[in-house]
Amino acid sequence: MKQVSRGARRKRSFFKRIEPFLYLSPAAIFFAVFIFYPFIKTIFNSFFLVNSKGEVRYFVGLENYLHVLSDPSFIQSIKNTLVYVAMASPLAIVIALVLAMLCCNKTKTSSAYETMFAVTMAMSLSVTAMIFNLMYNPTIGVLNHLLQKQIRWLGDPKIAMVALSIISVWMNIGYNFLFLLAAVRGVPKDVLESAEVDGAGILRRSVSVVLPLISPTVFFLICNSLAKNMMMSGLVLILTEGGPRGSTQTMISYMFQQTINNQNYNDGYAAAIIAFIFTFIALCLSFAFEKKGVHYQ
Amino acid sequence: MKKKVWGILYQVLCLGLGLLVISPILYAVSVSFMDPDQILNTELSLLPRRLHFDNYKIALNSTPLLRYMLNSLIIAGVSSLVRLVTASTAAFAFSFLHFKGKNVIFILFMATIMVPADCLMVTNYQTVSQLGLINTYLGMMIVFCASALNILVMRQNFLSFSTELYDAAAVDGCGNFRFFTRILLPLNKPVLTTVFISAFIGTWNTYLWPMLVTNKNEMRTVQVGITMLNFPDGTVYGPIMAAATIVLIPTITVFILFKKQIVSGMMVGSVKG
Repeated sequence: MKQVSRGARRKRSFFKRIEPFLYLSPAAIFFAVFIFYPFIKTIFNSFFLVNSKGEVRYFVGLENYLHVLSDPSFIQSIKNTLVYVAMASPLAIVIALVLAMLCCNKTKTSSAYETMFAVTMAMSLSVTAMIFNLMYNPTIGVLNHLLQKQIRWLGDPKIAMVALSIISVWMNIGYNFLFLLAAVRGVPKDVLESAEVDGAGILRRSVSVVLPLISPTVFFLICNSLAKNMMMSGLVLILTEGGPRGSTQTMISYMFQQTINNQNYNDGYAAAIIAFIFTFIALCLSFAFEKKGVHYQ
Repeated sequence: MKKKVWGILYQVLCLGLGLLVISPILYAVSVSFMDPDQILNTELSLLPRRLHFDNYKIALNSTPLLRYMLNSLIIAGVSSLVRLVTASTAAFAFSFLHFKGKNVIFILFMATIMVPADCLMVTNYQTVSQLGLINTYLGMMIVFCASALNILVMRQNFLSFSTELYDAAAVDGCGNFRFFTRILLPLNKPVLTTVFISAFIGTWNTYLWPMLVTNKNEMRTVQVGITMLNFPDGTVYGPIMAAATIVLIPTITVFILFKKQIVSGMMVGSVKG
């Protein structure tokens, strides 16, 4: 009788010990199979020669990296990605910031225009791409009509990347706006009032009172958009396929082209890791900047 | 009086800016009602001359748009439900249970946010094709079944839940699983809604992964399908804009109806400004 109860107790305490891990296991399995495993495997494979079926052949050290870095079209795609990030990330934040400042005070119709400012967040990449594709059309598109110009938005190597940046800026306004709106509304009223009493104008108040107080949110959005834009590839794959003349190829769209179209996994893995390193460096740089520029209360 | 006039002018300015922001959407809706002559006309036209519904008929009848939407609905719906399970169980363990290595595991989970999914897509594609899941619903949704951000959001909510209730339930002999399913989840419905809706919109809108793992037309999701619509004659833009409008209606409606919940879910993962 005693022995049975001791056995049962031991069973119970064993269950008690593993119980937390049972709750963690569903998420852990998905993370392990689709994030940790591919991450390690991609790094690992980037040091090996891989055949067109994706089978690992033999160790080649850094050769894949050297090969991909000596490919002019990949160097071009790194430049393109950096140019794209430099155009799209700040602009989307600045526009959203201006809109959020405008919405600082609630009015009778504020929920209407707040929703309009935010709604681009619900837009999908492909639908947005299709809409802008029509707007960019050189002969029947609305943009050339309004500007009275004959711009080949997606066909001119000098302009195509700008055109893609405009789309991405538009898509990100809503997301950035919602964050900044919450931050702007969170600025204490008495701080603003005392600045007003001191005679600071509306512009002055926005720049030197509100901006420092919401800088943590701005910083979060900078990191977020750097990471997102470094990985940009969807617009390229839908609208330009890297053209015209390689002017819109990004690191990730290069990776897709090499692996999915050409079955060249050697270049693909190395490109993926290089893209990851670039994103990582960008984030480290913005953290270094954070120490100087961001004021936490 | 002067202040009132200024207030109205201010609101008109903001509403005008709002219309400017959504003008691409309005333009798409407007084009979807134009007849082919008007679309191809080199004159500028912003509004349809008269409401022309043929584009919608073409988009719905001569393309598998409805099938695409059904595929998207299945993938987004099921994977968001699975996410609720994976996120809530993990968040429960992190916020109520005590075990060895809790912090290490939590950091490992959160580290997945730092790894961009796009870098892993090629390897994941190989995994999924080795599992024989190309062109299946399971293959399309399997990578969306867990998200560290969702775990974070739920944990934040569960942590503010009183531990006294948990202790009292334990004293009354209520096991962890019963506490989780009978008390914790029913009392945290708002956060479940938030996570479900944001997961749903995110998965509904995703393009790259479903494009990679499908090559059969009838398995495509609506986001992939819409970029590949083929129409018999050259008058593609009208029906494409009609299809775009049809695809936009559900997400924009859900977004407007549940804006508050979506926003509160977004803010948790970030800093407070």
